[in-house]
Amino acid sequence: MSAPRFLTLDIARKMIDAMIRYAQDNKVLPGSFAVVDEGGHVIAAERRDNGLSATFDIAIDKAWTAATMKTSARVLEVITRGQGWRLNVKYNGRLTIIPGSVPVISGNRVIGGIGHSGGSAEEDEAIAQAGLSAFYREDHIDFIGEDRLRSLRKVADAVINHVMEKKLHPVVITIVDEWGWPVLIYRMDGASYGYLEVSRDRAWTAAAFKLPSDEVPNYTGTEHGSEWNERLNTSAGGVPFRLQGLLFAIGIAGNKPQEDKEIAISVLKSIGVELPV
Amino acid sequence: MPEPLNFDIAIIGGGIAGVSIARELSQYNVNVVVIDMHDDIGLESTSTNHNLVCQGGDSLSFRPGTLHAELNIKSIPLWPKLAEELNFPLKRIGGLWLIRDKADFKRYLRLYSRAFKSSLEPNAPYYIPEGSFQPLEFVDRKRLLDMEPYIMPNALGALHDPNLCITDPVKVAKALAENAKANGVEFLLKQEVTKIERQGITYSIYTKQGLIVKSIFVINASGIGVDRIAEMIGARNFSIVPLKGTLTDFDEEVGKLISHEVHVLPRMEDLPHVKAVLPNIYGLARSGIYLELTYRSDKAVHEEAVNHNIKVAKELFPEIPFERHVVKSFTGFMAYTNADTGWHDFVVDIPDYVPNWINIVLGPAGVSASPMLGKKVIELLMQSGLRLEPKRNFDPRARRGVLS
Repeated sequence: MSAPRFLTLDIARKMIDAMIRYAQDNKVLPGSFAVVDEGGHVIAAERRDNGLSATFDIAIDKAWTAATMKTSARVLEVITRGQGWRLNVKYNGRLTIIPGSVPVISGNRVIGGIGHSGGSAEEDEAIAQAGLSAFYREDHIDFIGEDRLRSLRKVADAVINHVMEKKLHPVVITIVDEWGWPVLIYRMDGASYGYLEVSRDRAWTAAAFKLPSDEVPNYTGTEHGSEWNERLNTSAGGVPFRLQGLLFAIGIAGNKPQEDKEIAISVLKSIGVELPV
Repeated sequence: MPEPLNFDIAIIGGGIAGVSIARELSQYNVNVVVIDMHDDIGLESTSTNHNLVCQGGDSLSFRPGTLHAELNIKSIPLWPKLAEELNFPLKRIGGLWLIRDKADFKRYLRLYSRAFKSSLEPNAPYYIPEGSFQPLEFVDRKRLLDMEPYIMPNALGALHDPNLCITDPVKVAKALAENAKANGVEFLLKQEVTKIERQGITYSIYTKQGLIVKSIFVINASGIGVDRIAEMIGARNFSIVPLKGTLTDFDEEVGKLISHEVHVLPRMEDLPHVKAVLPNIYGLARSGIYLELTYRSDKAVHEEAVNHNIKVAKELFPEIPFERHVVKSFTGFMAYTNADTGWHDFVVDIPDYVPNWINIVLGPAGVSASPMLGKKVIELLMQSGLRLEPKRNFDPRARRGVLS
């Protein structure tokens, strides 16, 4: 059997599992992992327990850089002679020419990108390379521990199963922590990348106001974010929940807003997760 | 529970890397065992490669400062002695890097000066004493035609590397293993490692066939399976991707028309494949390499790859009818590191958190670098506190079968 020619959510998750294992084996500080498609849009991104919040977006931006520049940040560093940051005149800082940014190559083509943030430059690069290595492994490499991430994965898996069973449109799932920072983003195969930010914004809104996203205007009287509230999205689909005593929020996008909200609520109820009043 | 077998050093993997290290260690008073999953030596990557050694010219393109360049260049003077001691075939054929235009010439000039800096200047990092390494030279079309009468018409000249040799790596590996065995190294063949544990400073290696091997030091030289073995004990501090190469052999009738390893620099449109044609030690001609990244279970030969190899041979030697003389095509795997940047390097390293454990990743040009690898590993073992006393009765020529 030859290796796959494209990335799917399952493959991306397999790559992240291997990267977490590599990070654990080499005792790297907890950070974030991202796998994006050819266009730089997230397929799966995750943050380890106690991973720094800021690493999440850095990991995504590193993966974006690898996929859209179709090369590794290590090479970009060399060919731009350290002046690559100048290119950010165009990309407002998104272009991340920092090691830890590796393209996924298959069949002589770049089909995606991998990013890790949280360790030193060398560690970030080695972990991202471990992700590429896992793409070419038939077997699955599992990690140990990471209880919080594992229990949030169960929530996401339940959503995926629910969507498949009910034959709904594939969705993007974002789970954010109490502070609105994502712990997990999964884009199901077939879900358009436009839903990525919608799902994340709904999750942020639900966490920030501790209310389902569509109920926020009833209390705030506004539907528009400003300044640090620019992620405010008051369409239905974001729902806060409690797990192991901690507050999280899930944002689902991919169907009509009310359907997305129903998916969230019925899944959270079915797996016995507490919904705040 | 079977009685465990006790050793000082266990080498996992009986390929060229494992047996080179075993042979080097057999010169010292230590108890060494080589464990391999197959029933003979050198059955994986060692048997499926282009059979080149003494890759001095190729080292030009290896980044200076890497282990890849160091071990390869330092191995060049060791090969003739090894061949003489162990009586395996080694033939100096020389390599020709064809120059088609100014772009090629400019690139070779840059590589040439880099090679000079890294090995030929007296204060170079991998200085090779005069006599054991012949400097590279540029040859013009007239001399090129003397060397290779059937060469492609648009070759203006070439960069000639006189050091390049061909051999049979499987014979080399077997000779090394037999010599190691005669000097006291144990071989446990047909033993597939399934689990590794560490208690204190002792590793226990469990095999599928039911053996338990206890050892103080472990050298993980398991070739393409190196990451899986390292993961068993959390010692993976490197990443590899399996790079599959397809080579095609042609019969003696065309083999006798080629006397050098000939290759051209791959252009943008040729990447990632290598365009090279060379004779092998048994008089056949060989061309390739068609490269692809894939699962390591994917060993099939694809038609596309064979056609590529025939096309390459025809491009370099347009007058020779290669397509009518194909003997066979075969695939092999290289453990490729830094696949994202293309800056492959060897790994010969003790992980930060797993003591007395050495990971070995060779990959491309691994056979070529193997004589120096053994010495490098000895250096590492001594640094990590192993006392190695030379054996008085070491016989560099003795042979004993490893299959018993």
